[in-house]
Amino acid sequence: MKEKIDRLRKMVNVLQVVEKHPDLYFITLEGNQLVMALGYLKNTLNFKHLAFMQAVDYLEDNKFMLTYMVYNYELKANLGVNVFIDREESSMFSIHRLWEHAWQYQRELYEMFGIDFPGSPRVDEPFIMESWEEMPPMRRDFDTLAYSQKTYFPRPGRETNDPKEQMKKAKYPNYPDSPKIRRDDE
Amino acid sequence: MNKISESKYKDFVADRSKYPEMENGKPVIDLDSHKFTKIWQGPQHPGVTGNMSVEIIVNGDEIVDAKTHVGYLHRGFEKLMERRRYIQCFPIVCRICVPEPDTNEYCVSAAMEDLAGIVIPDKAAWLRTLNLEMSRVAGFLMWLGGQAGSLGMGAIGQWTVAMRDYWLDLFEEMTGGRIYHMYMIPGGVRKNLPLGFKERVLQTVDRTYKLLDDIERVFLNNAIAKSRLKGLGIITPEMVSEYGIVGPTARASGIADDIRINQPYLKYAELEMKMLTSNIGDAYDRTELRFQELLQSLDLVKQILNKIPENGEIQAKLPNVLHWKIPAGQTYIKAESTRGEHGFYMVSDGSKYPRRVFARGASYTHAISVLEKLAVNITISDLAALMVSLHTCPPEIER
Amino acid sequence: MKLKDIIQPLTIWKRVAEEPWTIKDPLTERPGADNYRGFHQNDFAKCIGCGSCEEICQNAAIDLVPVEGQEVKDGNSGLRPRIDYGRCCWCALCVDICPTGALTMSNEYTWIDDDPEVFRFTPGADKTKWQDDEKGYSRSEDIALINFDRIEMEEKAPEDRDKSFIEIVKGYNKEQAMLEADRCLECGLCTATCPAHMDIPAYIAALREDNIEEAFRILYETNPLPEICGRICTHKCETACALHNNGEAIAIRWLKRYIADQIPAERYKEVLGTEHLADPKIGHKIAVIGAGPSGLSAAYYLAILGYQVKIFEALPDSGGMMRYGIPEYRLPYDQINKDIDYIKSLGVEIQFNTRIGQDIPLEDLHQEYSAVYAATGLHLGRSTRIPGSDNSEVYFATDLLRKFTLGQDIPVGKKIVVIGGGNVAMDITRTLARLQNQKYGKVDITATSLETEDIMPADREEIVESREEKAIIEPGWGPQEIEIKDGKIAGLHLIKCLSVFDENGAFNPKFDANEKKFFKADMVVESIGQGMDLSYISDELKEKIKMGPRGRIDVNEGFQTSVDWLFVGGDIIKGPDVINGVANGHIAAKAIDKYLNAQKK
Repeated sequence: MKEKIDRLRKMVNVLQVVEKHPDLYFITLEGNQLVMALGYLKNTLNFKHLAFMQAVDYLEDNKFMLTYMVYNYELKANLGVNVFIDREESSMFSIHRLWEHAWQYQRELYEMFGIDFPGSPRVDEPFIMESWEEMPPMRRDFDTLAYSQKTYFPRPGRETNDPKEQMKKAKYPNYPDSPKIRRDDE
Repeated sequence: MNKISESKYKDFVADRSKYPEMENGKPVIDLDSHKFTKIWQGPQHPGVTGNMSVEIIVNGDEIVDAKTHVGYLHRGFEKLMERRRYIQCFPIVCRICVPEPDTNEYCVSAAMEDLAGIVIPDKAAWLRTLNLEMSRVAGFLMWLGGQAGSLGMGAIGQWTVAMRDYWLDLFEEMTGGRIYHMYMIPGGVRKNLPLGFKERVLQTVDRTYKLLDDIERVFLNNAIAKSRLKGLGIITPEMVSEYGIVGPTARASGIADDIRINQPYLKYAELEMKMLTSNIGDAYDRTELRFQELLQSLDLVKQILNKIPENGEIQAKLPNVLHWKIPAGQTYIKAESTRGEHGFYMVSDGSKYPRRVFARGASYTHAISVLEKLAVNITISDLAALMVSLHTCPPEIER
Repeated sequence: MKLKDIIQPLTIWKRVAEEPWTIKDPLTERPGADNYRGFHQNDFAKCIGCGSCEEICQNAAIDLVPVEGQEVKDGNSGLRPRIDYGRCCWCALCVDICPTGALTMSNEYTWIDDDPEVFRFTPGADKTKWQDDEKGYSRSEDIALINFDRIEMEEKAPEDRDKSFIEIVKGYNKEQAMLEADRCLECGLCTATCPAHMDIPAYIAALREDNIEEAFRILYETNPLPEICGRICTHKCETACALHNNGEAIAIRWLKRYIADQIPAERYKEVLGTEHLADPKIGHKIAVIGAGPSGLSAAYYLAILGYQVKIFEALPDSGGMMRYGIPEYRLPYDQINKDIDYIKSLGVEIQFNTRIGQDIPLEDLHQEYSAVYAATGLHLGRSTRIPGSDNSEVYFATDLLRKFTLGQDIPVGKKIVVIGGGNVAMDITRTLARLQNQKYGKVDITATSLETEDIMPADREEIVESREEKAIIEPGWGPQEIEIKDGKIAGLHLIKCLSVFDENGAFNPKFDANEKKFFKADMVVESIGQGMDLSYISDELKEKIKMGPRGRIDVNEGFQTSVDWLFVGGDIIKGPDVINGVANGHIAAKAIDKYLNAQKK
């Protein structure tokens, strides 16, 4: 595996290598070298099987991490390729020419994360969320709780009590709160 | 190595005279020409495996174009898990595949353990292996009924589903649930085996062997089944990696890749099993291969029962699960389900909640890219058989 | 096409004669497996309403509701889980996490009703036919989602400590504290039991998040003596801990100590935000009598409210019983000073060696101060009044402990008997044992109490540690007579004590006079409780003050007496222990604030 990654290094800039297990490595690449790298991985280094490609939303860094998981039948090992892309107007090169099923993932990512893959077949066709009008739902800023509260109605009669508050109510309702510290500027 | 040339369809050439011209390898379909009919097979259709539909365009009874539609049971598990504590994820994931929930349970628990650096006790690993293999048996039985049913042989479907119920009885005893077992809690498993359980499993194994004997005679050695399945939906070895095909479907095309053997997890390294492959790659070949794998799984169940240690811990010590935080990292855990590579990609960010959980199921490609390609040029009546022979399970697609 | 392939399928017909696989009546012939996850059951005898089930339910199917007949008591919120089967997914995480094992599942799986409302019910309260079923899912002993075992506290070995007064308990290190804090279920049952109602789950949570400063601020919200309470609190909270039912309670006291230990004294003001306290000179002046826990607590809260506070203390140093009662091996003086110095740094003045009543009449204080808080504590020893107890070799434990702290010589007998089974008795036993060890090289001291060991009021660890230090503890005996020979003590006669309290719970010991015991001794220490000294209240004032039962001063809920400027609290009203004193002081401070604000208007 190390040897394969070293060979890959000659082609592209490998930013980070993490060995999770002897048969599972993760590498981080630069976005604009990704397609070249995956092509090299598939055709020369024999990572022929694309297990999946997915996105992870790093909202706080304003980034998406894309993960391409490829597998080498001879090495019997997986290699996860990470690239980071901008979250705003996110877009990535399509790999539908490398794998026949890659367009599916790209279509899903377009719908679920709003990541565009120009040129990918049927990329803007709805996949799961037909007639969905909210923001792409897998983005972390999509609030599922708020959405369900807005969309559905709760069953009436549901109310709960906090044990601590309940005991306070029953046993020491008048116990004073901590006094507010009186400062010289007040 | 490919023996397509030996199949009876070697001389099959689609009659293109009725088709419009081909452009870029695809027929130009003009619905207004009245030569074509658009039909929705599914989502309510006995021939569809679960809640999905295939939008097909037919010319006569030949399919010229197919599109898979999913979204009928999208429950957003992956999104829900972003708001669940790690421990709360495990009752969710089993719902990703109804006939075979345990692979999900195993993968998600193992992914958490991998990220948190927890090693499960020996006995727990054996019990998990047993559970997984039993669920493969139950999953294959369900599929076998479907495969026969897709050809109109409903009796076999009833037999196998009834037999699967005996396996569900065993699951019920072992785990407390028939369908959703929720057995593999992070760190290990929830219960030891009940008293006398091994004997009852062996009884059911014997009973299953007997049924499979019958089914082999009635279904696999059946002139109708053979004539309908042979030559249907041929997957060439080249297609396997191009389309991300995995599991028995890939092995039937000669790709010797079984995760249990190539990257053994749990206790599979200690079991005797050989890689089952075939090399024709049509629907009949896949059916036969899966049938062999079912027999192999029964054998594995027997092996496992002999090897499970009597005593030992069944759960590694967990921190308080209410505020269990897992250090930042990412991992990909995969297991061999009846449909092939089933994996969970989990990313943690050091908080109480997973940053991202992605469930990779074999059906994702089998039911869309592969099905859409293979469905073209076959007849409507064969579509159901093709779909089942790819062993698709829609909940895996929409998670 | 082979002929075989046409013939073989015909064997399907042999199945025509087969027995059907189905069962005739599934409801009676097919019960769920022994381990089945069916409808819930709840054993109210065990359930404490901690809400862990609600917390872990990933479907939000569980509500906690009050149930008739389930009272709120220590360690039991009286709330019970109500389950909405419209949401339940039968994952049984609620069963697995239940710290008491009350919540289980039956193996019942059929339930048909045309009223959807019945599918939301409170197991245990709403009668169901499966409530008492034995079979069904319960948590296996082999697994746990929470940790029932406390992280062990390191202590000095008995042989390293039995001659010196160095602190015994080492305190947690960071890793241990984190692991211990991780065990907390955050149910909050402990908060009600703590007399000061400290927000225990909140500071443990802050600690777990590695936010020591926040945890420290939370401590000071309700307790200005965390270093002290972190060492010697009676930690009643731990008996209310949800984990206490099936395992070991969270070491709340040690965690508090850990938090306080992490903040150096010089950072107190910065962390607690008291760097720029309002100038007290503009506020009212308030006098506090007694620099014990209650007086200090009142002074602290009054100080941060902006009052000018002065404490009058009879002894030459602050801390009251904390310094003059509790031995140094349990509570080192520098830790007392750390807490008290901070209170002093807020502008609280302490005047030592001033006994109100003798040096300054109480009424005079009122002239200068708007209000007075008297927390004078229990310092008078109480005698058993048995024959021989008037001998000069019979001492009170509190006197000895005070003298020892003051650096005076105290008598150390060769063979000592201590009468009493409380913490003070253990303190004097262990102090004298150390002195015996220093003086004679061996320990020969026996402590005896009326109560049998299971109901001895002393903390468990005190009894265990006393024994480790070679003291003998003999519970369950009633002292009868101190035998005097030639004016010297010869020993103590005892008879078996059968019970201490009568059926009404009142103190009414019963003895078996036939079963006797005799301890040889040359010195006897009485430690059967302390009395209060109210001599500082002049007779004139006493007439105005309304008194309650058993010679106690009657106060309202703000610890105000019927003389409106006089507030009284601490051990003389409620306790006796440090944390009650702290709570009294806090309440009294707020009551004084309210009283003075009302006067302004």
